[in-house]
Amino acid sequence: MHKLIYFIKKIYIPFLFLAVEVMAIYYYSTSTPYSQSRLSGLSYYLCGWSGSLFTKLGNYLSLEQDNVALNERIAELESLLSNYQTLYPQTVQTELDLSPNMYVPAKVVSKTLNRSVNYFVVNKGIDDNVRIGMSVLSPEGYAVGYITNCSQSFSIAVSLLSTSFKVSARLSDDRSMGTVYWSGGDIHTLQMSDISKYAVFEEGETVEAIDFSEYFPSGTILGTVESKQMNDEQTMFSCTLRIAADLSRIDNVILVDNREVEQVRILKQEPVASPTSMEPENEDTTN
Amino acid sequence: MKNRSQYILFVVVVLLVQVLLLNNLTFSPYIAPLAYIVLIIMTPLGTSSLKMILIGTLLGLVMDITMGVVGINVIATLPVAYFRRPILHFFAAYTDMDGEGGVPTKLRISRFHNYVVAMVVIHSLIFFGFEHLTTANLDFIALRTAISTLVSVAVVYFFIGIFTAKLTQR
Repeated sequence: MHKLIYFIKKIYIPFLFLAVEVMAIYYYSTSTPYSQSRLSGLSYYLCGWSGSLFTKLGNYLSLEQDNVALNERIAELESLLSNYQTLYPQTVQTELDLSPNMYVPAKVVSKTLNRSVNYFVVNKGIDDNVRIGMSVLSPEGYAVGYITNCSQSFSIAVSLLSTSFKVSARLSDDRSMGTVYWSGGDIHTLQMSDISKYAVFEEGETVEAIDFSEYFPSGTILGTVESKQMNDEQTMFSCTLRIAADLSRIDNVILVDNREVEQVRILKQEPVASPTSMEPENEDTTN
Repeated sequence: MKNRSQYILFVVVVLLVQVLLLNNLTFSPYIAPLAYIVLIIMTPLGTSSLKMILIGTLLGLVMDITMGVVGINVIATLPVAYFRRPILHFFAAYTDMDGEGGVPTKLRISRFHNYVVAMVVIHSLIFFGFEHLTTANLDFIALRTAISTLVSVAVVYFFIGIFTAKLTQR
């Protein structure tokens, strides 16, 4: 007890100083919209800077593994490319501008895993040709999430581990489609529902994104079937998927801009033309 | 007792000059002297840390109320008041070994000028840093801080001159 009193006596003056100073900063920061926005901007900057610092340190320490993984990926892609060039020498495009997908490598600055809507912050933004809606893949090409917001230098991506995120997917062999979503809880598994009762698949089968998926390039692997069950009405299968990408350890990602999907998305946003509006406009016949 | 009444008079004069004159200098955006920090500078050397916190907070609050702002004067004044002893030690190589106390003067502190300038500069940097909270228009902010600090130092020396002259006369 005496030690506690002695300890309190020893620290109460610095504590008082800190308390008054923090209170003054709080009242100042909330006194005007200008100071509020400036101080919150400053705090975001400091959080981003410190997060970036720790991430850089972690990345530096894991450079060796990253290099091995990247080399393996490059070798795999080069093998695929050479196969395509051998099979279709006239049609394989080598100009990047004509490619249907644009790839932007990025590093994860910070991420969350314990919320109902989890996200990643990556170190690429509008200045690096990143835009809202781009897919986020792991270095191995597995689905991770999609971009929801961009600043000049950073972007935020919602991860697969978000209860509000639903994506259409199909079984890679059977081609039966379903809806993949995260129900919360385990960060290593997803749920897939609405699979036809006639689908034939086993545990271990791969689940991939459908063609013209809103979020991922066609064939992007989301996970593998861990267990399956028929619903109570015996009309649909649902299954539990093991997520292909290890979201808890991911440091590097690839942002993919699927230009063809973007065209489809724009078409969907345009109103459907009525028969009258499709008629040619009256031309000025006075000339 | 007479010494205390002199202090009270000094405090009143400094606050009145700051509030009525220095806060209303509108002829240039670069000049915003904060001379009230002289009250912290001239606080007796033996004053305890707790009293320094109370004085710093009170002075900051009074200036916040008179300037019509919230918190910024407390933010700037309190660290200067609380860290006055380390500042004295670091910039003026002063250590109050025998707990002598007394008004800080050239006679008591060998590097008195270093102490005064350091106190004013630290206070101004915190104040103007929090006032602007941005790196945009850095030229303007740096020039405003530099000119205001110089003017503050001049006014602080003016007050110190009056106060210490009174003391020596007595």
